[in-house]
Amino acid sequence: MTEHMQDPLNHPEVQLANGRAYLASFIISMLLMTVGLWLAVTHITTPLGTVLMISFLAGVAVIIQGYFILHMDISHAQVWHTVAMVLFLPLFVVTIGLTAWMFHGLYQRTMIMPPAASSMAHMSPMSH
Amino acid sequence: MSASAAQKVDPAHATLWARHYAGHDMIGTRTFGFWLYMLTDAMVYAALFATLGVLSHVVNLAGGPSSSAFINPVYAYGQTITLFLSVLIYGYSMVALKNGNRGGVIGGMFVAMLLGVVYLVISGIDIGNMFAHGIFPQVSGFLSIFFTIIIYHALHIIVGVVWMLVMMIQVAREGFSANVVYRLINLRLFWHFQAVIWVFVFAFVYLQGIVA
Amino acid sequence: MLVHLQGPWTPLLGRLTLQQIPFHVPILVVTFIVVAILAAMVLAATTYFGKWGYLWREWLTTVDHKKIGVMYILLGLVMLLRGFADALMIRTQQAMAVGPGSPGEMGAVHGYLTPFHLGQIFTAHGLIMVVFAATPLLVGLMNIIVPLQIGARDMAYPYLNALGLWLTTAGAALVMMSLFVGNFAHGGWYGFVPYFELPYSPGVGVDYWMWTFQLSAIGTSLGSINLIATIVKMRAPGMTWMRMPMFTWASLSTNLIALTSFPVLMVALALLGLDRYVGTHFYTAGMGGNLMLYNDLFWVWGHPEVYFLILPAFGIMSEIIPTFSEKTLFGYVTMVIASFAIGGVSWGVWLHHFFTMAAAPSVNSFYSVTTMLVGIPTGVKVFNWVFTMYRGRVRYELPMLWALLALFLLLVGGMTGMMNAFASNDYMWHNGLFVVAHFHMMVLVIAASIFGAVEYWFPKVFGFKLEQKWGKWFFWFMIIGTGWTFVPMFFLGFAGMTRRLDYIPYTQWSPYLHIMLVGMVFYVVAVLFFVAHLYVSLRDRVKNRVGADAWGTGRSLEWMTHSPVPAYNYAFIPHVNVLDEWAWRKENGLTELHPGDYEGIHMPKNTGVPLFLGMLFMGLGFALIWRIWWLALLCVALIVALIIIRSFDRDTDMTIPAHTVEQVESGARDETSVAMPTAGVRGGTVIAHSILQSGTSGISGSTTSTSPSLAPMDR
Repeated sequence: MTEHMQDPLNHPEVQLANGRAYLASFIISMLLMTVGLWLAVTHITTPLGTVLMISFLAGVAVIIQGYFILHMDISHAQVWHTVAMVLFLPLFVVTIGLTAWMFHGLYQRTMIMPPAASSMAHMSPMSH
Repeated sequence: MSASAAQKVDPAHATLWARHYAGHDMIGTRTFGFWLYMLTDAMVYAALFATLGVLSHVVNLAGGPSSSAFINPVYAYGQTITLFLSVLIYGYSMVALKNGNRGGVIGGMFVAMLLGVVYLVISGIDIGNMFAHGIFPQVSGFLSIFFTIIIYHALHIIVGVVWMLVMMIQVAREGFSANVVYRLINLRLFWHFQAVIWVFVFAFVYLQGIVA
Repeated sequence: MLVHLQGPWTPLLGRLTLQQIPFHVPILVVTFIVVAILAAMVLAATTYFGKWGYLWREWLTTVDHKKIGVMYILLGLVMLLRGFADALMIRTQQAMAVGPGSPGEMGAVHGYLTPFHLGQIFTAHGLIMVVFAATPLLVGLMNIIVPLQIGARDMAYPYLNALGLWLTTAGAALVMMSLFVGNFAHGGWYGFVPYFELPYSPGVGVDYWMWTFQLSAIGTSLGSINLIATIVKMRAPGMTWMRMPMFTWASLSTNLIALTSFPVLMVALALLGLDRYVGTHFYTAGMGGNLMLYNDLFWVWGHPEVYFLILPAFGIMSEIIPTFSEKTLFGYVTMVIASFAIGGVSWGVWLHHFFTMAAAPSVNSFYSVTTMLVGIPTGVKVFNWVFTMYRGRVRYELPMLWALLALFLLLVGGMTGMMNAFASNDYMWHNGLFVVAHFHMMVLVIAASIFGAVEYWFPKVFGFKLEQKWGKWFFWFMIIGTGWTFVPMFFLGFAGMTRRLDYIPYTQWSPYLHIMLVGMVFYVVAVLFFVAHLYVSLRDRVKNRVGADAWGTGRSLEWMTHSPVPAYNYAFIPHVNVLDEWAWRKENGLTELHPGDYEGIHMPKNTGVPLFLGMLFMGLGFALIWRIWWLALLCVALIVALIIIRSFDRDTDMTIPAHTVEQVESGARDETSVAMPTAGVRGGTVIAHSILQSGTSGISGSTTSTSPSLAPMDR
């Protein structure tokens, strides 16, 4: 059932290793995370604005890493990996998003709070 | 009675049996299955983040400290640097694999493993500090999920470190057999995936915790 | 870090004491005696007939997907019987305990079961039927059929396949163990928080429930990875996506559901475990926990799980109906789309299990609408099946009868499901018997499909057909039992009866409960007919021998290899030219299965590691349930060590030599023939099945197993 004759090092998934891409991914994601840390520590915008910007930075970092180090592309060797991930992505959004939505409504209807505290009720980690 | 598409194929000239069938691509099949497993692990994280979302309301603090009161971003940032560096070095180890360089693979993996250990030490100090200040998972619903996420991520790093240890021995013993190569690729998927997950943990547990 | 426990605990035995053995419950004592006698008889018979070696080599260490599938199905049938016994007790108790004047026996105030005991029974009934009966039965069928249908020689990961089986078995064994050591959870199969938290359920019952559930979840996830990778990566040359048989499509869709949803169940249970063991506050009523979070996470898994069970059933119907209508499946493409639409929609409906949570009206409306959307692809499927039969040459053989029953029950279950989809309705009958009757209709669709599938594919796996006479008695008594049991249940639902009652205060419900008991009597008789069905089939197996195409009108690839299937499935991997390849070849007279000029075939070797891992996981589960920390640590260490040691094993594969393949192929019977001499021919299949166990040493020593009456595979 295996390809006995072939050298496993010739397998396309071995051959797609790329040092320059890994370095690029490292530099860019470190940069993005540093900016995120700076935003969070300096409180330069409103809390909601910071959260949105951090979410955006995280999204960019994940896309960069997904492309450069996880090799999520449509080449022949990787296409099924990519398809599987694309299939999962909406389910992550559904799980977190719909849960956040239903509990947001639930908290509004069942946890009546003083006005000062209620601003926190709107925060959810996956608000993007 | 007739299969609709059937008539387009000429039965007189159709190939019926795949003689000398070479078999499927073993390495590709293995890595695909492992990738599916990694995605289920991502689903576990999705469920944990959904839990974090639900338990981030002010009532979930139950009078305990909010995350902005105790998160020290220096440690988390240190973890970010070590993990991303480790992933980078493991990437270079894979470049060495591409070139058939056994010493390069083992050496790169050794450095990556050491960085994983450094990550764990930083994480341990960070968690130890929190415990020393009376910040335990048992204090409130929010702290329960906070610690669950960071400890679950640290468990992955432990698994990765052990796995690298095993793979270094296997590379040294067996060289680059098909079995070793697919495991190295799986470990690459595993280790690089930890960096992706860490982006979420860093951004949505630590950084957002500071903002809140 | 660990929580403080009520009651005794010792480092050596954890919470385990002699008082945990329920000597005082007569029902359990009798059950234990019966089980012990049966087990002793089985063990003695195995020893007496000298079958231990055979059992070890051919079954316990096998990585053959067909044998693993057969073992899954056996496990499912045993647990189905256990779940049925639970149902029988629930129905008897409810029929007895009506009205204040009803008598009480054996320590119960009304009826014969105490509330605590009944609680364990209905919890076990639900859990067993869903994850230890239906799931193994369907996983077993997919295991056997999917590689055959796509022209593969094995699953993508044979070793992982065996591991999945033994993890599921470990879970089932722990459920059975809870009967005699300790107790089981008593709050319903899907659990309630904070009721299942330690302060309110301090016993080990919830821990049993939690860890068995977790084990089966891990096993099923591993199986789903395996099946998806098999379908994506191992299809025979020429088998494009649009040439895949419908059952394979359904398996792909259903395993995608399992793959994506089971992790969420693991999280839901693990967080409960953290609450119970470490004292965190995920689901607690105070201290910042959120008890609705448990319902959310559980049903994020729970609803996709329902479709995980129903989609293979649909796939089975899509195979049986064309075969016995002698027509190609109507609307193949729409069927594929519908399967995936059901899978997709299943991920957006879970709140309908807790409409009464008090979510915002917009949220409830959203989930109402998505739930109703499920009806569209399901409706497409129903019409496709009906149009497949329309103007076909329909033969009412047993598989077809079961498929038609499934179709009918699907209409009843589907329509009542639509009624449940309205949040406003649900506010009235939430937790009521109407819901219970609805989902029993749906699981009976699954059960009917499974019975149909067993009838349909049995000759492929074992080489002979099941007889028809007792099978038909079984079929009709199942229908009568279903009618008498579940029609009154719908009425009781309308009358407002809630589920899980151990005492029914309203005597006017008594007639319905008694009618349901009559239904259970029919079910009991049906089970006896099923046993007779199996017995007569085994007895007359020589008469019922069949060739490769057992039903004569098979359409897909699995009918293109010998029955029983050789260990390597296909001597030559078929090259697929069209959808319904076998039907096409028959139309064009290309039915030769012996192309000659054989080659050696590369196959995985048997291994005992998955069985040992299963045992260790069972030990781990037991240790965690009873909080025996040293045993838990030991098991974890051994599991890790075993996995690492196995990864150093280089001798995992072997090659079946070409002359052996030729021997097997020339010995296979492909014609349906009563008169055919059997002895020599049977030798051929013996070799086919024995190659794996004998490893490199060849095949000569393995023909010793010739027990005709007990061997499940005819050899």
